[in-house]
Amino acid sequence: MSQDLEKVLSQKLSEESIAGEIFDLEPLTGGASKEIWKFELKTKAQTEKYILRRGSGIEGPLAIKTSDEAKIQKIVKSLGASVPEIVSVSSLEEPLGDAYIMKFVEGESIARKILRDDEYKNALKNLAFECGESIAKIHQADISEFPFLPRKSVSDQINDLYNTYVSFNQHSPVFEYTYLWLKEQSFGEINDSLVHGDFRLGNIIVSQMGLESIIDWELAHIGNPLQDLGWICGNSWRFGNTDKVVGGFGNIEDLLDGYNSISEYKVDTKTVRAWQVFGTFRWGVICLIQASAHLTGSVNSVEKAAIGRRVSETEIDIVDLLFLGGK
Amino acid sequence: MIFDRPSSVELLKAVSFFLDEKIKKEVPPHLAFKLRIVENVLKIVCREIEQGDALSEEVINDLKKLINSDIASLEDLANLIKEQKIDLEDQDLQNILVKLSKNKIAVDNPNYSTYKKLLD
Repeated sequence: MSQDLEKVLSQKLSEESIAGEIFDLEPLTGGASKEIWKFELKTKAQTEKYILRRGSGIEGPLAIKTSDEAKIQKIVKSLGASVPEIVSVSSLEEPLGDAYIMKFVEGESIARKILRDDEYKNALKNLAFECGESIAKIHQADISEFPFLPRKSVSDQINDLYNTYVSFNQHSPVFEYTYLWLKEQSFGEINDSLVHGDFRLGNIIVSQMGLESIIDWELAHIGNPLQDLGWICGNSWRFGNTDKVVGGFGNIEDLLDGYNSISEYKVDTKTVRAWQVFGTFRWGVICLIQASAHLTGSVNSVEKAAIGRRVSETEIDIVDLLFLGGK
Repeated sequence: MIFDRPSSVELLKAVSFFLDEKIKKEVPPHLAFKLRIVENVLKIVCREIEQGDALSEEVINDLKKLINSDIASLEDLANLIKEQKIDLEDQDLQNILVKLSKNKIAVDNPNYSTYKKLLD
């Protein structure tokens, strides 16, 4: 399989006038829904590392096309946000499929390594501020540049998530409660903007110097930007460091200070909390979606099957937030 | 049960041991990640066989008391909330939701941070 891939990759690169010899093509551990390959390209002048990100062509109910992720990255890069440089984009009809090729960024994306290894200790100190800053930069993009992205209001998203949950016919009293609770909340009056949709450890590259790059834009959309601030505060993305509210490494004040170093919008923590419950519910429904891909037989994947048993993580996080004073 | 030992749990534990001791060091990194998921799945199944009935019964018994009925299911509880036939601030309702969530995670992932925090 990797030999065939090498052939179509090299063909695609030559269309971009990038000629060279591909070597060390290897799959990386990626998300559950996309293939990620790393390779090196030896040209006359130099050897450079690249990443291929490839979707199945079957979009989930929340995810956008992989090639559209590349379009977003190109636009936000021009605004000064830290994202990898895209070198080639392939559409579903091409031999490479729905995919793009980007330059490899040195650093680490695996959350547990970033949180555990000594070499990132210093970087972690300022990371919550840097994340707030980066999130604010993304939110400053001109939304008219993204006609291909879906526009999603909070209430539409809440209803869509709920209806998706209902469609699986698996009763969750906690999700029923959450749905009613969310419908009563205020999520902040703010203009719609580009929302990354999945900004957290795992989807950012961190080096010893700090935040290097924002990756994995498959849940991007246009909507209330405060969603990104609540999402990174969810316990699902603290990887066991439950007392560090922001991503398992920082506190909310630093995140908001970083946000306000770019954006004038003052966010109150109660609104972030509403988004946190929303985000936890959203992740729970995403787990249901992933598991259903396995259960309906469209793919046979132990990884997707196992995600079905992570729904209960989001349920306990929600009852902790709503009834037990969880942060 | 008419079956001989090893029991289902003992069989699963033998498989887990084999994967951990013999296979883990042989597989490339991207498969090592999946292997860890496989090992976790086996542990979930073990815990469900061992504790599942008792954990479910505990929740269902509380629910029977709440709705004053001899039979009760998660679907009943879900509908009770959905149709708002109970006050959402009701302490017994909230207690059941907490117990339900704790008992589910006790099988799915007892190392989960929030569960461990709530046990302390």
